[in-house]
Amino acid sequence: MLSYIVQRLVESLLVLVLMSFLIFGLIGLMPGDPIDLMISANPDLTPQDAERLRALHGLDQPIVTRYGNWLGAALQGDFGYSRLFSQPVMEILLPRLGNTVILMGISFVLALAIAIPAGILAALRPRTWLDGTVNMIAFAGISIPPFWLAILLIIAFAVLLGWLPAGGMPPADGGVGAYLLHLALPVATLTLASVGGLIRFMRASMMEALRQDYVRTARAKGLSTRDVVVGHAMRNAMIPVVTILALSFGTLFSGALITETMFGWLGMGKTIYDSIMGNDYNLAMIGLLLATVTTLLANVLADLAYAWLDPRIRYR
Amino acid sequence: MRRIAGLLALILSLTLTGPASAADSGSLTIGITQFPSTLNPNIDSMLAKSYVLAMTRRPITAFDHDWELVCMLCTELPSIENGLAVPETLPDGSQGIRVTYRLQPEATWGDGTPVTTEDVVFTWEVGKHPKSGVSSLEGYRRILEIDVQDAKTFTVLVDRITFTYNASGGFDLLPAHLEREIFEADPVAYRTRTTFDADPSNPGLAFGPYRISKVEPGAQIELEPNPTWYGQAPAFSKITVRIIENTAALEANLLSGAIDLVAGELGFTIDQALAFEQRHGERFNVMYKPGLIYEHIDLNLDNPILQDVRVRRALVHALDRESLSAQLFGGQQPVAHTSVSPLDWVHDPDAPVYAFDADRAEALLDEAGWSDKRNGIRHNAAGEPLTLEFGTTAGNRSRELVQQVLQSQWRQVGIDVRVKNQPARVFFGETVRKRRFGALAMFAWLSAPESVPRTTLYSDQIPSEDNNWSGQNYTGYRNPEMDRLIDAIEVELDRDKRRILWKDLQRLYAEALPVIPLYWRAEPHILPKWLKGLRPTGHLGTSTLWVEEWRRDGG
Amino acid sequence: MSAETGRPPLEGAALAAESGRAAGPPLTVGAILRRRFLRHYLAVASAVVLIVLALATLAAPLIEAMLGLDAEQVNLLGRFQGPSAAHPLGTDELGRDLLLRLLYGGRVSLLVGLMAALFAAVIGTVVGLIAGYYGGALDAVLMRLTDGVIALPLLPLLIVLAALDLTKLGLPEAFANSESASLYRIVFLIAIVGWTTVARLVRGAALSLKAREFVRAAEALGASGPRIMFVHILPNAVSPIVVATTLSVGGVILFESVLSFLGLGVQPPIPSWGNMLTNAQELIWSAPLLAVYPGLLIFITVIAFNFLGDGLQDALDPRAIQ
Repeated sequence: MLSYIVQRLVESLLVLVLMSFLIFGLIGLMPGDPIDLMISANPDLTPQDAERLRALHGLDQPIVTRYGNWLGAALQGDFGYSRLFSQPVMEILLPRLGNTVILMGISFVLALAIAIPAGILAALRPRTWLDGTVNMIAFAGISIPPFWLAILLIIAFAVLLGWLPAGGMPPADGGVGAYLLHLALPVATLTLASVGGLIRFMRASMMEALRQDYVRTARAKGLSTRDVVVGHAMRNAMIPVVTILALSFGTLFSGALITETMFGWLGMGKTIYDSIMGNDYNLAMIGLLLATVTTLLANVLADLAYAWLDPRIRYR
Repeated sequence: MRRIAGLLALILSLTLTGPASAADSGSLTIGITQFPSTLNPNIDSMLAKSYVLAMTRRPITAFDHDWELVCMLCTELPSIENGLAVPETLPDGSQGIRVTYRLQPEATWGDGTPVTTEDVVFTWEVGKHPKSGVSSLEGYRRILEIDVQDAKTFTVLVDRITFTYNASGGFDLLPAHLEREIFEADPVAYRTRTTFDADPSNPGLAFGPYRISKVEPGAQIELEPNPTWYGQAPAFSKITVRIIENTAALEANLLSGAIDLVAGELGFTIDQALAFEQRHGERFNVMYKPGLIYEHIDLNLDNPILQDVRVRRALVHALDRESLSAQLFGGQQPVAHTSVSPLDWVHDPDAPVYAFDADRAEALLDEAGWSDKRNGIRHNAAGEPLTLEFGTTAGNRSRELVQQVLQSQWRQVGIDVRVKNQPARVFFGETVRKRRFGALAMFAWLSAPESVPRTTLYSDQIPSEDNNWSGQNYTGYRNPEMDRLIDAIEVELDRDKRRILWKDLQRLYAEALPVIPLYWRAEPHILPKWLKGLRPTGHLGTSTLWVEEWRRDGG
Repeated sequence: MSAETGRPPLEGAALAAESGRAAGPPLTVGAILRRRFLRHYLAVASAVVLIVLALATLAAPLIEAMLGLDAEQVNLLGRFQGPSAAHPLGTDELGRDLLLRLLYGGRVSLLVGLMAALFAAVIGTVVGLIAGYYGGALDAVLMRLTDGVIALPLLPLLIVLAALDLTKLGLPEAFANSESASLYRIVFLIAIVGWTTVARLVRGAALSLKAREFVRAAEALGASGPRIMFVHILPNAVSPIVVATTLSVGGVILFESVLSFLGLGVQPPIPSWGNMLTNAQELIWSAPLLAVYPGLLIFITVIAFNFLGDGLQDALDPRAIQ
């Protein structure tokens, strides 16, 4: 078991190093460097200025050298300055990481809180009107374009009803109340967008579990549905659910680009997007690598959770 | 589970009280679509930064609402006539000029330190230092020396005489008492360590009507009145600039009362504003100010089809720009006929105009050899189709709409135009900059009043591998007469003579037609009914340069 | 959540395909029939809806000729018209016929969805078969590659692709400069990042199938590796592939709309439901129908593909046919 974990971690580290170079290369391949963008905004810039600025930002070096410099500095804990915000990278990223974890964490917990009972109920009464309704809602959630959902929510709750702010970060001195108010619509959007898949998933794995022999036996012994579900089927049904949870955890640090954009929520998704569009190497590298690390770790975690929940599975 | 239920109940109970209105007396919330990447006035140039900093500091000179140069931080605009500007022959024999400015005697940084000539000299030192990170050195390099007379008076010696000799340009004062130490410790690191970004709410950074009290990167910037401000006292006790990039979300925020005002400089698209005005004209004033944003199509003159001026003229004659502007933009964005705005004093109303005339366009194309129409597309004698590639910035809705209208109008006269759009950074960073566009590239130039089109029309400004892709003459236009006019205009100090040169330039531009002029973009300012005193400028000097005149009236 | 995080949402689809072989507790024959009918009713209805949509979009030129209109004809004097005999659904912001735009947009959206899902399925099947059948180091490398692709940042890739000069890749100039190039870029992008789920599914199936007697027998008879993979294993793994691919078509259509929202989708003047919806968001107050129609069509199409996939899952599940 332990050797398996170590092996997976080492492999993941290799993938990570490869990815960091790939990401660096990809950004470098993108046409137009920061100086080009400056020139297009400022007609007074002379060619000498452009050359001088390129040298100053180290952009005149070949990509491998730049990657080496970046890696060397990063390994010593120097992540550099963000070009877009003129702040040290971590000072921009850390609060945003916090915002994203709060936004996605709450949405995720909410989605689970809805999906698990709904999925179980639907599985217990398959192909009834209840099952049909739950299914309908789940499919509707999966099928609606997220930015569209966001606009509809803004129109309904911010503009027409005027109950909630239409977006933006809460004022820093606004207290918990303002914070929750600003969080409400983005959380609702994300929850609605993710709950459908979870319901479908929960329902399917619960039905699978209910079909197992030991559940039938338990029922035959006269145990109540409740006891059967809670005592026996749940644990088994949770195995695949935990896997998908672990995998979703990987998206926690990459943020929710669309929701964050629509509501002006300063999270990782928007930050990574802006840093790539704005050619902010330092910010983009660290942001993307954080997202990559969590995705890779989540993969390992998913496999481990699987083994932990299902005693039949043993890794080497 | 129970905790979640509690949370939900809490959210619901808070919901019923409703969000606090932004329109409390004395505070103003402005919505803009871009966050400034730095707050240091001399590093990088960016509209969002100009917009915010215009409230906290002032340039030495600026263009006013009538596009005339005026003093802001100086007391009297220097000129040769009033003796404050004196031409001088330099040691190498060329002509230079000495210009004397006197700073506002009461101008004081927010921490009580007076704004002095020491700041002027320091700014110059930073500006001309090659490693300081200041993006454009040119203006600073042209200054040969600065002669300090007293704490408030100084004279600069500039290495050439141009008609803009008395404009301070990008010379934005830095507070020497806060910045000198940081700069001298390590000039290379200055751009990352500057107080403007490290401690943006430091009162010593502002001498304007407001000072920045708080910055939340990417989200908002808060400003409060600056007690050391020497001019008219501002009316609002707090101004918040909120950044909302999505224009649909921006509109929702305005309607829900979370913001009071959408800045025209960085706000709604024009058709969004028109639709908004129709629905909410009762609650908001919408002011349109056509400005110096010149939407046009650069023609790649290396394209053999476009080398024929008859084809270029046919391209313009085929377009009904008047009805495009009337229908799409409610007539608020006037059609452009040359690169000089009709609001500019050097504009020549008599320059050739290519009116919508499909017959004329067809005749010109026939004449140019594109007479064989097959399936509605013109072909030449060699059987080649009249096909042109048309690119612009993907995702810019207004441009994409215009593009489809133009494509459809050209198809009417048998020109097959293929759309090939790219994300802005690709389009500007690669395609346009390296002249890789096949035929047509649509974008806008931003300029100041009476700005000389040297970088866009002069023959040595054509980007190429050899000159390291410098210059903005993307069409590849070269004409000795144009070069001569540009050289002559720059050094002609006499306004009447200059006006004649400008007239020649506009005529030449319209006749040669290296560019298809489209229209002058308008800034739609969306204001609450109660806000008075905001006057759009239509040029790069933002309306916030006069923020102290803004006030609440009624409502 | 998958469309949200900027990844073609094949993940959920496959997981559902993996675990969705549930048939419910024992029931009476009548109940089984009724319930299966209920389930299939939705799938059949979805199939009918999709076929009607596909036929309608294919018939767009016919309808165009019948109405005597030109879908690309801009009419600045006839913007935002209401429904009329000439324009059954009215006109859009440039005075073009909305019905025709929706039909041509549907063509593009469905084409992108089907092509991208198909290509992804092909790549995924090949990778999955090789990894599952050969196992060992090859399996490890391929699976880590899969992890890497899952973690790949899509945005820079998209921008690089948008800037790529297709003629330099040896593609014919007429194709590279055609307006539909943006469409194929998207198909290509989704295919090269969207294959991972199918690969995992197929690998799982191959792992279990290669231990079965008929595969052993084929091996004993000296069949080659590729032959065993494609003749013996693939046909037995086909149902999860079909289900996952069907489900992912809807996901791709949704993903295209998100890309359009970011300005990286199918480029105008080619209409797609995604870019029509994105363009309409600023007009939501003045011309809400311009947003409602494409939004509704995306919604209906995606949900229909989901129901269809769901129904197929039941129909193809051997345990359900007892």
